[in-house]
Amino acid sequence: MENLLDVNFLIESFPAILSRLPVTIGIAVGSLLLSLIIGVAAALIKIYKVPVLSVITSIYISFIRGTPLLVQIYLVFYGIPKIIYFLQSEYGWLQSADVNSIAPEFYALMAFSINLGAYLSETIRSAIESVDRGQFEAAKAIGMTPVQMMLKIVFPQALTVAIPNLGNMFISTIKDTSLVFIIGVIDIMGQAKILGSRGLAFFEVYIAVSIVYWILCIAVERLLVKIEKRARRYERGIA
Amino acid sequence: MIKLEKLHKYYDRQHVLKGIDLTVEKGEVVAVLGPSGSGKSTLLRCINFLEDPTSGIVEIGGKRVDAATAKKKEIFALRTATGMVFQQYNLFKNLTVLQNVSVGLTSVKRMKKDAADQKGIEMLEQVGLSNKLNHYPAQLSGGQQQRVGIARALALDPEVLLFDEPTSSLDPELVDEVLATIRRVADTGKTMFIVTHELSFAREISDRVIFMEDGVIIEQGTAEQIFTEPAVERTRQFLGKAVQG
Repeated sequence: MENLLDVNFLIESFPAILSRLPVTIGIAVGSLLLSLIIGVAAALIKIYKVPVLSVITSIYISFIRGTPLLVQIYLVFYGIPKIIYFLQSEYGWLQSADVNSIAPEFYALMAFSINLGAYLSETIRSAIESVDRGQFEAAKAIGMTPVQMMLKIVFPQALTVAIPNLGNMFISTIKDTSLVFIIGVIDIMGQAKILGSRGLAFFEVYIAVSIVYWILCIAVERLLVKIEKRARRYERGIA
Repeated sequence: MIKLEKLHKYYDRQHVLKGIDLTVEKGEVVAVLGPSGSGKSTLLRCINFLEDPTSGIVEIGGKRVDAATAKKKEIFALRTATGMVFQQYNLFKNLTVLQNVSVGLTSVKRMKKDAADQKGIEMLEQVGLSNKLNHYPAQLSGGQQQRVGIARALALDPEVLLFDEPTSSLDPELVDEVLATIRRVADTGKTMFIVTHELSFAREISDRVIFMEDGVIIEQGTAEQIFTEPAVERTRQFLGKAVQG
């Protein structure tokens, strides 16, 4: 009789899949941090309507929103080596970079940072704009520089406002990292694929990997609720 | 001492301040009255360049700034020489009461945290809120928030305190505690510039009252003079109506 599932194979595949969990988490967390920098920069460029840069930023955001992530990953994977090679041969720049030794994880990190940065910038922009103007004025009135005002007053409040949205995007990113095996990164998805072909048991490994993603996302959601609660403590009025 | 010379402010084509000349002596308390849209708040906000005056000169404690050529450094000097209290309090919501008062000392005056905290506590004692140091603004009443606002403005030892309708967004029953605090500060000899709708308070606290309308100073004089025998009919009309209302 044909079994629906090879349960033993399914269970035995977990340790191997979990061994690649750091890759998945590393790309997700790394690109979250990098994309926060990109997102804040893009948001500020748009808020302050910096000439030239704000046009470039608008095009960047529009492009990222209007093209599939999969295509963007390929563009980064094939584009960056070509650009580096071009700069080396035409201008003699970046001589120390060896295109062939760049790990695929690096391209994955770049692609996800660029992608997430565009989405975050809109969230961050509206969060910054949600901080009431009066506090900007008060900060100016006591002589704070724009940078001090942003770091001490505006960003902490804007981040708090943005946490739910940032969290949702982060969870999406965790799931989207399952695309990175296409450029040769062995994340949990890549590992599942390898195990699946080795044992000819694809259904089993994909069940296993989906459980890993599921639990990871639930854990992150729980964590986000805690972070948000803590960040919002100053908003609680007289109890 | 504050000196304003030929201060003009345009919003697009709208001429909001039409050449204000004014001198406020050290220790003087000046109240600015006038109907809404008279330019009194704009005048106040031009003193520390929260609004850039279109032209004219602002001088505080010997620092002279020409609006036409004002540089960042000069504007910074004016802002540290003034302390401002806002109608909507404008406390930093992510900071505690004490941090609201000390943040200017640590970040602008580069004071050590301990010294800044100590000074912050002193300032909060002055406004009667030293028991709320670790509360957040959202946990305070409007009156308490405004008193923190006053402590924050005082902390930087400004030459002059600017009050922009400090009681206008308060519930009536909270107005008194704020006015009492302002009165206490006035008694310490601070130079103060108060835009207000509280006529009886203005009369009681100020050395001089300025009546503005339509971007110009229509009349000024001692509080007694303005309130008992204003020289200009418009002032009489405004004060009379407001007292009845």
